[in-house]
This record gives sequence, C-alpha cells and structure tokens, in this order.
Amino acid sequence: MEKLTLTVNGKKVSAEVQPRTHLADFLREQVVLTGTHIGCEHGVCGACTLLIDGQPARSCITFAIACEGADVTTIEGLDDDEVMVQLRTAFSREHALQCGYCTPGMLAMARDIVRRLPNADEQRIRLELSGNLCRCTGYVGIVGAIRSVLEARKGTAAVPLPEKLGPVGSQGLASETVTADVKHEPKPIPPEAFAPTKIAPGPDLPMGKPATVINQSFTVHRPRPEVWAQFGDIASTATCMPGAKLSKPPEGGHVEAEIRIKFGPIVAQFQGELDVERDDAQFRGVAHGRGRDDRQGALVRAEVTYALAEVEGGAATRVDVTVGFTLAGPLAQFSRSGLVNDFASRLTAEFARNLEARMAGGSEAILPAEELSTVSLFFSVVWGRVKRLFARS
Amino acid sequence: MKPGPFDYARPATVERAAALLAGSGFAKLLSGGQSLGPMLNLRLARPDLLVDLTHIASLKEIRETKDFLEIGACVTHANIEDGLVPDCTNGMLPSVASNIAYRAVRNRGTIGGSLSHADPAADWVSTLTVLDAEIVIRGAKGQRRVPMANYMLGTFEVALEEGEFLEAVRVPRFSKSARWGYYKFCRKAGEFAEAIGAVVRDPERGVCRAVMGATHSTPILVADATALIGQGFDAAAAGALLDRHEITDAYERQLHVEALRRATVQAGA
Amino acid sequence: MADGDIKEGKGVGARLIRKEDDRYMRGRGQYIADIKLPGMVEVAFHRSPLAHARLRGVTIPEEHRGSVFTAADMVGVKPMRAVSGLPGFKPSEQPAIVTEKVRHVGEPVAICFAEGRAEAEDIAASLIVDWEELPAVSDMLKGREPGAPLLHEHWGDNIFLESFVDGDIESIAKDAAIKVTREIRTARQCMAPIEGRGVVAWWDNRLNQLTLYSACQMPHIIRTGLCGCLGLDHAQVRIIAPDVGGGFGYKGILLAEEVACGWLAMKIGRPVRWIEDRREALTAAANCREHHYFITGYAAADGTLLALEAEATVDSGAYSAYPFSACLEAAQVASILPGPYDFKAYRCRTYSVATNKCPILPYRGVARTGVCLAMELILDGIAVEAGIEPYEVRLKALVPPEKMPFDNITKKHFDSGDYPECLKRAVAAIDVPAVRARQKRGEPDGRLIGLGMSIFCEQGSHGTSVYAGWGIPMVPGHEQAQARMTPDGGLEIRVGVQSHGQGLETTLAQVANEVLGIDPAKIQVVHGDTGMTPYSTGTWGSRCMVMAGGAVATACKELGKRLGRIGAKLLQTDVANVKIGNGEVVGPSGSVSIAEIARVWYLRPQDLPADVDPGGIEVTAGYKPQRDSGTFSYAAHAVVVAVDPVTGGVEILDYVVVEDGGVLVNPMIVDGQVYGGVAQGIGTALLEEMPFDAAGQPLASTLADYLLPGSTDVPSIRILHMETPSPYTEFGQKGIGESGAIGPPAAIVNAINDAIRPLGAEINQVPATPRRVVEAIAAAARAKKVA
Repeated sequence: MEKLTLTVNGKKVSAEVQPRTHLADFLREQVVLTGTHIGCEHGVCGACTLLIDGQPARSCITFAIACEGADVTTIEGLDDDEVMVQLRTAFSREHALQCGYCTPGMLAMARDIVRRLPNADEQRIRLELSGNLCRCTGYVGIVGAIRSVLEARKGTAAVPLPEKLGPVGSQGLASETVTADVKHEPKPIPPEAFAPTKIAPGPDLPMGKPATVINQSFTVHRPRPEVWAQFGDIASTATCMPGAKLSKPPEGGHVEAEIRIKFGPIVAQFQGELDVERDDAQFRGVAHGRGRDDRQGALVRAEVTYALAEVEGGAATRVDVTVGFTLAGPLAQFSRSGLVNDFASRLTAEFARNLEARMAGGSEAILPAEELSTVSLFFSVVWGRVKRLFARS
Repeated sequence: MKPGPFDYARPATVERAAALLAGSGFAKLLSGGQSLGPMLNLRLARPDLLVDLTHIASLKEIRETKDFLEIGACVTHANIEDGLVPDCTNGMLPSVASNIAYRAVRNRGTIGGSLSHADPAADWVSTLTVLDAEIVIRGAKGQRRVPMANYMLGTFEVALEEGEFLEAVRVPRFSKSARWGYYKFCRKAGEFAEAIGAVVRDPERGVCRAVMGATHSTPILVADATALIGQGFDAAAAGALLDRHEITDAYERQLHVEALRRATVQAGA
Repeated sequence: MADGDIKEGKGVGARLIRKEDDRYMRGRGQYIADIKLPGMVEVAFHRSPLAHARLRGVTIPEEHRGSVFTAADMVGVKPMRAVSGLPGFKPSEQPAIVTEKVRHVGEPVAICFAEGRAEAEDIAASLIVDWEELPAVSDMLKGREPGAPLLHEHWGDNIFLESFVDGDIESIAKDAAIKVTREIRTARQCMAPIEGRGVVAWWDNRLNQLTLYSACQMPHIIRTGLCGCLGLDHAQVRIIAPDVGGGFGYKGILLAEEVACGWLAMKIGRPVRWIEDRREALTAAANCREHHYFITGYAAADGTLLALEAEATVDSGAYSAYPFSACLEAAQVASILPGPYDFKAYRCRTYSVATNKCPILPYRGVARTGVCLAMELILDGIAVEAGIEPYEVRLKALVPPEKMPFDNITKKHFDSGDYPECLKRAVAAIDVPAVRARQKRGEPDGRLIGLGMSIFCEQGSHGTSVYAGWGIPMVPGHEQAQARMTPDGGLEIRVGVQSHGQGLETTLAQVANEVLGIDPAKIQVVHGDTGMTPYSTGTWGSRCMVMAGGAVATACKELGKRLGRIGAKLLQTDVANVKIGNGEVVGPSGSVSIAEIARVWYLRPQDLPADVDPGGIEVTAGYKPQRDSGTFSYAAHAVVVAVDPVTGGVEILDYVVVEDGGVLVNPMIVDGQVYGGVAQGIGTALLEEMPFDAAGQPLASTLADYLLPGSTDVPSIRILHMETPSPYTEFGQKGIGESGAIGPPAAIVNAINDAIRPLGAEINQVPATPRRVVEAIAAAARAKKVA
C-alpha cells in the first residue's frame, strides 16, 4: 500500500492504494464514485473516460498512484458545469443514450469536443468520438446532440489548451516533492512445481494442425552423418534453443526442459517435456513437446521436424526445420498473430544459428542459455538480414 | 482483469530512474501507460517494479538547436498535436500525432513510451524512422545516441541494454521546401495500423527517404528513395522490397505498396 | 393520422423525453458493479485455457485452501439443462463448474474469492490444473463429419438437432430458367454490450432467501433456472436486475457464474460479487450467429422467384444454454428463411452442431440476420441472371398487401403490412437512378460505387403456441402487469419484463397515461425484481411493447373501472354515468381527480360509503394479443457504398431504412432502436468476428481484436416510417426492437457485390473485411487469367 493524495471533484482525497489499482477502480471502490464505468480495462471502449487535470483520459489504464497531486473530475463533479448542462439537455432531447452505461464517458468526451473544437463539423465530431463505443444508439443521437450544442454556442471561442508538457496527471507535483524512495525487493520469479506430465494428449489422437508453423532452412558445412549425429545428441541440440535448459538429463528420446522467453513486456517461462523420434534411414526427426506456464495460464503444444539433405556433393548438409506450435490460454487470444509469428521466426532463426555455430565450432560458440535477451535477438536480426542478403542474390 | 502485484517508484531524476532500473529484477518503465497499462491489466506483463518516469521534469522538456528538435520521452501525443511542441517538420509531427489512437489516449500517451514499447503498428515507429531521428538513451553509465533505424530490432524489441531507457528523441529540422507524406490503413479509426507509408523529400538537405511500416516487424526503410519515388512511384520496386523482407501475404503486400504510393503522392512526388 | 406523425400529449404516439435519462447522465445509474454490500468478497474464476480436455485434478496452494472451491465441493448442485421438445433433440448437461471434461475455452474450473478482485485473480492464477488435452471441434462442418471428435460421447455424433422441411422442388427446378446457388457464411459474434454480466449474491437469513442481483434481461427465468440447479424453492430465491448496461440477448441466459456465485454466497455466508471482465465476455461467454448455408434459388426467366432449397448449419457451441436451447437458431432458420416472399416450393434441412466453443444465445435478430443475408444474396443473384434491378426481383416475389393477413409457405402468419410499398419507398429514398448514373460516371479516387438492398420481416412477441411447439423450458403465456395507486395519486406499474436501454420506464408510463391520463411524471415503472413484479419470461423477442404494453393497458383499464366505481360514489352518481380520462373521473355534475380517489381510499376511508367496491386500487392483469403467433414488423434497407478495390475498404455513403412497426408508442425510442440495430448490423457486415484456431482457441480477447462499430463506422442513417397497425395487439403496435440489426449485412454485402461485380468478383461471407474484399477481387482476376 502506498499513500496517495489527489483532488477529486474539487475535494482533497488521501488514501492508501495498491500500486496496481487503476484510477477507475480507486474512484469506484475507495472514493465510492460509481459514475465512472468500466467497459474493457484496456483503453479501447472509452466508458471510463473522465477528466484528469481538466482533460479527458482513460481511467482504466491510468494507475491511481501515478495521479499523485492530480486534479480528477468525474461525471459526478460536472453536475453544474455549464457545458454539461447544455449537453444533458441535448442528449435527452436527441435520444443520445439508451442503457446509459457508456454515457458518462461519452459526455466527458462530448464536453471536450465542444470546448476544444467549437467549429467541429459532423465528420470531425465522429472522428473525435471514435474512441468511445456505444452499443445502443448507433451514435446518431450523440452526434446530433453535440452538433446542437455547438450550434447553440456558435461564436464561443475554444477553451485554451493546457500549457504544461507531459501526461495529464503528472503535473501536480512540484519536482522537489517527487519522492525517489521505494520499498522494493527484487523478487525472482517463484519456482513452480515442475509438472511435465500435467498436460498430455489422449492416446493416439490427432490434435489437428498447429496454429503457427514456421519453416527455416540452413546449411552446415559438414557431411550429413556428422550433422545427423549432432542431432542425435538431444541435450546438446535442445539447448541450442535460446532460453532453454534441461531440467534433468535426457532418457532415451525423452527430455524434460524449461524455456524462458521474453517478448517485450511479456515474460513466459514454459516447463515441459519433449519426445524425439528419429528415422535414421530418412535422416528425419520429429520432436513432440508440451509445456505450460502456470503464471501466464498458458499451455503450448509443439512439433518440431527436421530433415537433413546432402548438398554440395555431400560436403555440406542442408537442414530444414519446421516448427509448429499451438498456444492455449490468454497469451494465444489475440488476433495480431503476425507479431507472434515474427517473434517465433526469430526464435527459430536463432536456434538454427546456434546449431550451426555448435557444429562449426563447438559449445563455446553458443550464447549462454539465458532467457532470450535483447542481445541474442539482435544477433538473430542480423542473421535474418544476412539471410535476406543471400535471398536477394 | 486486474494486474498482478507490483511495487511502484516515482523518481525525480533520470539518474535515480537509471539506478532503480539497474537494481531491479524485472522492472518496467511507466510513462503514460497507454500501451503498458492494458498489458498489465491483462496480466500479460508482470513486472515486479514499475518505475514511473512522468514526474521527472527533464523528460517533459524540449530543446531546439538549428539542426534538430529534441523532444523529451514524456511529452505526449496531445502536446505535439496541440502545437505545444514547436514543429520542425512542416506539419508532419502534429499531423501524425493527431491521428494516434484517441484524444483521451493522447492526453497521457507519450512519444517515449510508444517508442519503448516498439509495436510495429505504432505511428512514431514509422515516422521517426522516415525522419531519420536519433534516439537519446540514458543508462547508469550516462547517455548515448542511436539512429532510429538501428534502434528497433523487432516487435517489442529495441536496442536498449539492461538498465537503459529512452530519454528523448532528436528530430532533424526540415528545410523550408521539404515535403512529406504519411498514410496509414486502419480497420477502424484509432485502431492498430495494418500498413503505413511514410515519405520525406527534402532536396535542400539531400534527403529522400521512404518507409513501409506496420509490418509484423521493424519498418522497412529506404534511406535513399530517389529511385523508388523520385520519378513517380515505382510499385515494382516497392514489391521487391517486400520480397526481401519476406512479406508474402498478397493482401498485406497490396496494402503496404498502396500506403507508400499514397504517401508519395501526398509528398508531391 | 399520417405515417410518422408525432402525436400531442404524453400517451401512445408521443415523442416523450425519457424518464431514465437524468440519472444516467449524472452518473447515478445503479449497475451491478456499483452494488457494494457490507462484508462482500470478490470472485474470480480459474478458467480452462483448453477447448476440449479431461480434467484430472486441481492443485490448490496450501495458503489458498478455503478460498477456492471446485465442482467436488458443490455437492447436490445440478447442471444446467435446456431440453427442446423437437423430435430428435439431444440434451446436454452444462455444469456450473467443470466436473470431468471441459468443452470450451473459458469454462470455470474453480471459483476463487478474496477481499478484492485483484487478489481473487491472484488466487485463481495460483492454481495448477492437470489436463489431458483432447482433439477439438472448431469448425461446424467438420464437426458434422463421421469420425469427428465427440463433445458428448454418448450421442455418437455432434448433432444437437437435425430438422427437415420438405417440398416438391424437383417439379419446379426442371422448368426454372434461372438457378442461383451460393455458399454463404457468417462469422461467430460476441454481443458485447458495453457493460458485461455480473452477479452480487447474499443469503438473507431473515427471509431464508438467496438474494441475487444479476445484470440480466429475464430475472424470473433466471430464478426458475437457478432454483432448479441449487435445489431451492422459488420462495427462497429473489433475483434483482438493477440498471443493466445493454443486453441484446447477451443477458438472456442462465449463467454458470450465477449458479456458482449463488452457491458460494450460501456456502460462506457472506455477500459475493463477480463482475465479468472484457476478456471473460469475449472468450468465455456465450456467442451467436455463426451460420453456413448451401442455398439455391429457382426463378423464371423474368426473375420471378419459384422455389428455394437450402441446407443450413448453425454452430451451436458446446452446450444447450438455458432456457433457449442449442437449436434456437437452426430451428428458426428453417421456418423463417422464406421471409415475406410468396413462392411455390421450399425445402430446407438444418443442423445444430455441437462444437468446442461457447454456447449460443439469441442475439438481436437471432437467426434472422443470417437468413436475411442468405435469402437476399440469392435474390440479387437472380436479378443478375434475369438482367433486371434487384428491387424488381423482390417486387415480383413480395407478398402483396391484398393477401394480408397472409400465411406463408412455412405457415408463418403475417398480421398486416404493405411490403411492396415499403420497398418502393426505399427505392425512391435512395434514388436508384442517381446511384446508377454515378456508377456510370466513375469516381475520381478510383473507388467503386455499389447499391444494395434488403427487405425482411421481424416476427416478434410470438407467444404460447410458437414456443409450446418448440418445447423449451420457457413458454410465454399471458403477460402480467400490476397497476397500483399510491395514496398521493401516483401510479406504480410493476412488470416482469426488464428494461436495459429500451426506455420502458417511459414507454410503459405512456401506455398507462393513454388509459388513465395520469401524468407520466407521476407514474413509476418498477421492473427487474422478482420480489416486486409479476412472473414474466422477461425481455427478449421484441415483445415488451406488445406484451407488457398490452398488460399494462389491461391492468390500467381494470384499475380505471375500480377508480370509476369509487369516483362514482364520491360524485354521488351511478358508475354508468362516469368516465375516466385525463387523470380524473368525470360525472354528470362534476369530477374528482384520481389522486383524490386514491387519497380517500387509503387515508380517508371514512368518507366512503359502506357499499363501496372492496376490490381495492391495486390490479394485476394478464394479457395476450388476439393471436399469439406474433406481430410482423418489417423494413426495407437500402445502402450505397464506396469500395476501394485496392485496400478493400468499404465506406457507407448513404443508408436508408423504411420501417413499419405498426403504431409507435414513442417514435423517438423506436428510431433509437432502429439506429442502434443498424449499427450492430453494420458490425456484423463489416467488422465483428470471433476467430478460432484448430484447437478451438478463441483469438480475440480485447476490443482491439474484436472490432465493434464506432462513430466513424456508422453513417447518418435515414429512417422513414410506415404505420400499418397490427390487427391483433392493444394499440396496433408491433415488436420492433431487433429489426434494425437484421437487414444491414444483406444490404451491405449486396452493395459491395454490386460495386465489385464489374471486376467479376463476389463476396458471400460476413464480415466483408478489407482482406476478404481484396481476396475476392484477386480471385476473380486469377479466374479471368485462366479463362
């Protein structure tokens, strides 16, 4: 709990808050002002829009603690506001609300449009409103209400904009009062009970196509039997995966491992197991893996196949790797799969690069098997660019 | 959908911020929080310390020289939109700023936060790349600068070392005759861009740059785009660039090429 | 009275400002998440990350034991069941908390509670669940195939229900000059009211009663369902729906979370609160509208529609949700596909397929949106073949007004209306010749202009006979309303339906005003509380203004009679000599206000003679329209779009709705319903889609993934009214709440196709995303090259 002092609807409020409490929850639960509504908690729907330092902002993605010294105005604080009085009359007349849930945020935004853009036409009103979703009205009444208030106020100048730079909410503290103290003990991510068998497929059931498939090919300047032998050393090969380490020594084709992945602000630590089957005649291998990260509530199922082909008259070997995986849980539930594919491609590229390096120069050439870090990624990007260079020629 | 627990620090200086960052297990920097906030609420990001940079006065300042404009990391999109930041780009910066997400987001979202998050679809990623901006980086050991083109490494990945953070961006000054173009495709107003085309033509400074952004990775930069856009728009050349970057999806390719074409037209090329 | 005129006064037909607006605009609405009770704990659920898996065990960390309950703890709680009486229907059992097997992502595995929601989520995240993953059914057509993984093993397949309507297609098909076949698909949608669902529950020891607040549309049905699951008497359960932030059908089913939270409140003896967050709403709660059609239309050379043959498949999700059941969409598809068209032969086979997705429930328009799309795309196809304007094909096939009332090929009974006139008005309003001329000229920016139309009917307020035939747990009978005078002359109206944006607090007051003349300002409409209102199936099926409106009028009429009898006594005249209206009882030699009658009845009974009617001035009355087969409102939608052939972007340039909802109780509110419905239909047409991967994982958990229409996506819609009264309802009103959402996908896709047809391209899927439009154009270009 941290101490927080700010102004809400003109009154000074002091309270103890958890740093993780966002402003909307703080106002609703601790100040008991429930006129600020929560619709998505990721800044898209606009239901939680209120005024911070007089300007509209999203209270669901603004942490209360970050508003120390700020001046917050909720819908309850705008009862007598001159523009709001006009807007309420117009909203009711134009039937600009039905269920009323988006209305407080919509009014906050409408007020901003009226004050900031006195000459806004319909198109501009619609653009400025586009961050506030209404599921009931089709926006017809809302746009009409704002237009009518603008018309009634014709000739009124725009309200001056804030002069201070920086995010609204950050300007209330004099710099000498900004505290640098923090009670913080760095915490390692807690070790989880290692539970490799806790996600298993039913016996012999086809699980369908993986959601993501990535193909990579690279050439190693060693004859195929030698490369094949390297792949047979599962422990050595598995640890070419950036961020991977074995949980215990492999038993036959069975490996238990964990992999730590950092994807921007997302850190995932999968624990799981891998079963490798090799076809010596075809120089092909398939590894089936399953993993879980209970902290993220994520499960992953992966299938890695590799096939070795002789090139350059047998002097070198081309390795074709296909990584297919299916994620389950919140990490998977996004439509921008391209971003994950980009990341997974880079991961696979680095695996390939590590493998090449290991076969070319032994283990010392391998980057430490820490989490996939910026540094290692940098190399993967370079590797990707080198590849593109070749692709060009 | 509430975040996991974390500690919170509100340093007054960049030095203190760097020290906090260096001494932490998994700290995340908080600026306006308009990208990080959702990821925290969704528990996709689970830092154990949040270092709030928005109360550091020096990060909310701007500096001008005859060659460039330096914008502090915590300057907001709305600040730029509203002209509180002097414009050195013949209108490009305020125009781009005014179309980022929504006003209520722009009032807290910052240029530094956006660039640190490094979402390929973010406007500043493509814009500062085409502008040939420099990123001013602060760490425990002091300051360093890298060109924007070398700063972003991939989705959500930037060239910040452990303990470093983005302090400011330096935008080169346009000459009076410089022209620019910027075009983005979004499924909906304010949502993630699916393609961005950006062009700067400034013959006086010998600059002719083009960017295809909002790919699934770093923006595609053509540092000398004379051949690409100098004699009208060369769609085939743009397509070849996409080949080189392994962008194979036909729809995406069509969008990227068209966005760049429209930006080129806007830039008067 | 001419169409669309606004009546004076405050009764039926007045454009009365809404009574509920003021509290909403001042942030004083009371929604589920605003309710905070002393000692209340917050609930979070641990939900399945997998779509199909066996649950082998849940490990609860030592420190959280006592704050986590699983199905094993919930002894005696029964699963939710919604059985349909249609022959061949296979029932499912949906547990509140997963017992042995999970069948869709997001099913609750454990209920966790703490002082705050964040802490409850911490606990939920600390559980480790032992899963055995199973192959999933993520596509309804694959789910129909033999050998598909089985959701409910004992069924032997994944078909909730197969239905078949047969007709002699062959004799018509052999002579039909035109045959148009299409494969049509609609995406799975989330209804996404801005407020999600939520529950606050506590056990009242004094009343020996579970009081459960729920953001729901049908509190009485939730009560009945909950009693069944928890083994409680109805007297032991009170459901209160407070202010509810939008429904659209989403809040019309019994939830696992309601059962679980009700159980938890009894178990721990403290109030509990669960507020659905957006991720839960998108990934773990009910879906709708995923249809697939193989459909063929047969027509004469001049474009006259002769016959229709279809196979429709509806993705019904994992369970049959209470009370509407898993076949609510598919069963309706078969009966409503012919719509307002009069033709000779019809055949339709439908499948309700169980898949590893959330169950479905009736979203605004229910099956009609998909059906309208399928039918109207076929008609445009016929128009192209016949070489005539699409509206001409429709005019040839629409039921003419002289045939009203009309029983169509599936025996739907159309009560009234002039469909051809409705379409003609739309044609005039959109100005077809002007659009055609513009198309010829071409656009300077290279975009392509397209014109599209749809016309459809909305069966609403359908009652006993329709639902009894369907045999689901809920069959609406007489709708009841209570009218009570208060001592100060106020009127309290109590109804079992629930208002969540429809403005019933205003419109039902208008109805009462129409009968009694009491000022709506003095009328309070009480709804959404089983403890205070008569039993009702609730708000769904565009039924409130017909059913509750009729019930309020009936109750008010009876109340008026009683007031008249008392008033007659006070006026010292015979009851035959008085009449009631304008808030007073008028006799031959004077009048007495209703307020005075109420005051005397309650506070000065000594002023009444001994032989006064003792019935009192509180009335409960039941109501049914003269026929319970439903009202048929209808509309024609006409739209002009500009399609960017390079980016696939679609801009709506003009949108006209010609709507006939019979007599409008409040035209302002009706317009609002139509505008809002059209916006949702635009979402269906262009934006909204819940994709799944092959493992059944939903791929949109935020509103940045699942796109809802915003203010720049919806144009300034123009509405024109016709007003053909229903012969069967109290005032001639018809149900109209869903209508707006039905027509847009058909009209918009037809418009897109009109625009891209010169390129040889066509799209038969919604949403018509930029990618799909571009890919359709590219496919046409490839086909041309090959040819």
